[in-house]
Amino acid sequence: MNYIEKLRTSEDMVTPGMSACQGCCGELVLRRILQISGKNTIVCVPPGCMSGAGVVGWDYQTGMKIPVHIPLLTNTASFLSGVSQMYQRKGRGDVNMIAVAGDGATADGGFQSLSGAAERNEKMLYVCYDNEGYMNTGFQRSSTTTKGSRTSTTPIGEAINGKQQPSKYVALIMSMHALQYCATASPSHMQDMVAKVERGLAESKKGFAFIHVIAPCPTGWSFEPDMSIQIAKKAVASNMFPLWEKYNGNYYITVENKKPIPVKEFLQSMGKYKSLTDDDIAQIQKEADTKYETLKKLASE
Amino acid sequence: MKIKAMTGNTTAAIAASLCRPDLIAAYPITPQSSVAEYLSELVHSGELQTNYVTTESEHSVMSVIQGAACAGGRTFTATSGQGLALMYEPYFQMSTMRLPMVMAIVTREMISPCTVWSGQQDAMSVRDAGWLQVYVENNQEIMDMIIQGYMITEHEDVLIPINVCYDGFYLSHLVEGVDVPSQKEVDAFLPPVHFNHAILDPDNPMAVDSLTSGEVLTRYRKGHLEAMVKTLDVIEEVDKKFAKSFGRSYGGAIEEYKCDDADIVLVAIGGMTGTARDAVDMARDKGIKAGLIKLRFVRPFPTDRIANALKGKKAFAVVDRSVCFGWNAGPMYTEVRAALINGDDKYSHFSAIGGLGGADISIKHMTSVIEKLESVKSKPGQHDTLWLMKEF
Repeated sequence: MNYIEKLRTSEDMVTPGMSACQGCCGELVLRRILQISGKNTIVCVPPGCMSGAGVVGWDYQTGMKIPVHIPLLTNTASFLSGVSQMYQRKGRGDVNMIAVAGDGATADGGFQSLSGAAERNEKMLYVCYDNEGYMNTGFQRSSTTTKGSRTSTTPIGEAINGKQQPSKYVALIMSMHALQYCATASPSHMQDMVAKVERGLAESKKGFAFIHVIAPCPTGWSFEPDMSIQIAKKAVASNMFPLWEKYNGNYYITVENKKPIPVKEFLQSMGKYKSLTDDDIAQIQKEADTKYETLKKLASE
Repeated sequence: MKIKAMTGNTTAAIAASLCRPDLIAAYPITPQSSVAEYLSELVHSGELQTNYVTTESEHSVMSVIQGAACAGGRTFTATSGQGLALMYEPYFQMSTMRLPMVMAIVTREMISPCTVWSGQQDAMSVRDAGWLQVYVENNQEIMDMIIQGYMITEHEDVLIPINVCYDGFYLSHLVEGVDVPSQKEVDAFLPPVHFNHAILDPDNPMAVDSLTSGEVLTRYRKGHLEAMVKTLDVIEEVDKKFAKSFGRSYGGAIEEYKCDDADIVLVAIGGMTGTARDAVDMARDKGIKAGLIKLRFVRPFPTDRIANALKGKKAFAVVDRSVCFGWNAGPMYTEVRAALINGDDKYSHFSAIGGLGGADISIKHMTSVIEKLESVKSKPGQHDTLWLMKEF
């Protein structure tokens, strides 16, 4: 069955009545992952856009057809480690253990527990939907926010212009753990993403699987809601967000980018990079090139 | 019956393993570390069949445990001081999710200034985080309360996690004879764990911890507080059951020692109680009508039993191994007074504070508390806080 057929025929596990913004890629990613994993799944959604939008539930109502829990911002991977360990103990290792967490819960406060769980090679699939900031609480910067971004804690000012530091490359850091599977994905490349979620789920039965998904955010990044997929596509095409995976100790670039578009095309398609100077853009271009070169070297070994 | 000479930490590890936990998570911290080490030995030797998770921090210890409990498991850990402080976020959630477990707190002073030694400031500082807390006097009581702890915490009227608190170094590292029950005896006493109010299971899908409105959350808190009240009865019931099976009773939420005809009463908690017992005996030899209340459970607070035990007495002093900032007193002193809200003006009373940061509470200290009680017993009202210190 091809990926379109899979997504067309599988059940949506998430409430239809959630309050995510129009054009939200986080919602898209969450729904697609859980369509693929199906009903034999336990999912943890820590504080962030998705849990804030009501996918865990409200009072006595649940937001999903499958068991769901909102752990703390800081403990998703360790909480799910405990659930997973008990299921192994009960002989029910077939149950999918999935975390769907934002970049704050992944790269900032939750990073210690994430790294710990990966080091212990706990059996789970951890997916980060990266909208590059604390979008749920009003677009504050996180450590995955890219350089030059305008956020509510890195505003455009006369003295300081947007975020000054490049983003933390969480996926690459995670890949340096002795984990089972690591990948990046984009909702603009759905065939690639579906294949990675399937591989991630299979590998999560043997150990820790991590997938980092770019999730453009119309509300926080300032673009029209119908442009989300286009923006994600440009992130990949410009090497701002290259698609790759690592398993069995080897790196593979899964979407070859033979003729990358200039990062300028990506940066100028939204409001959050509005005040970048030509020098800033040249610097970001250089960083994207370096990142891709590093990945190519890793993939050629 | 097998008497073994053991440290408090070894005792705690053996007690936990006798309760057949599904999962243990641990992170080393002074003075708890040898609990984690001894459990590792039991697991690595194959004696203990549990999922043992050695995490990167105490925050993850409590989180891993919470996950295991959400899958219906029986769990155990132990911590101290700064580790407990780091754990606070999932610690509070453990009790408010009403997930049963036993966690030993090997009590330790809180920083600053830098210290790693004994004191009860760590456990006392989290007494309003929704857990049950029992403070024990000796290594035998560590053994017995960890076993009883599972029966209490998993009781269907309770479902609140419990801390078994014992003094860092004084109990954790000192050796005493401990009657170690057999696995068969513990199995006969303790039924397997079963609860299903907060379970993650695809066969019975449930949203655990959905976003909750204030009106509904208030119901959760009301239920939690009412369960705490019911727990007071469960504590007495389990103490009796335990006595029947193992021949040892601790008197439930408090123990009264020579209180019946006493004029003046010392209230002590934890390891210092042994010293207080001796000081009371010595005072009795001198004809002073002294008695002792050993405060065992701090949560739930045994208000009625304390009020009854102090009824008709002239004076009392509460010795705390921690402070209550803002009250110029120890925390248990403020709570014992609160238990007497309908008439503490009849008593002479004061707070005594000592043993902080590993400092000793000697027999001389306890005797000085008794002497002060004697001298103020006919002057009702609050008297100055007595600091049990060496003269500099």
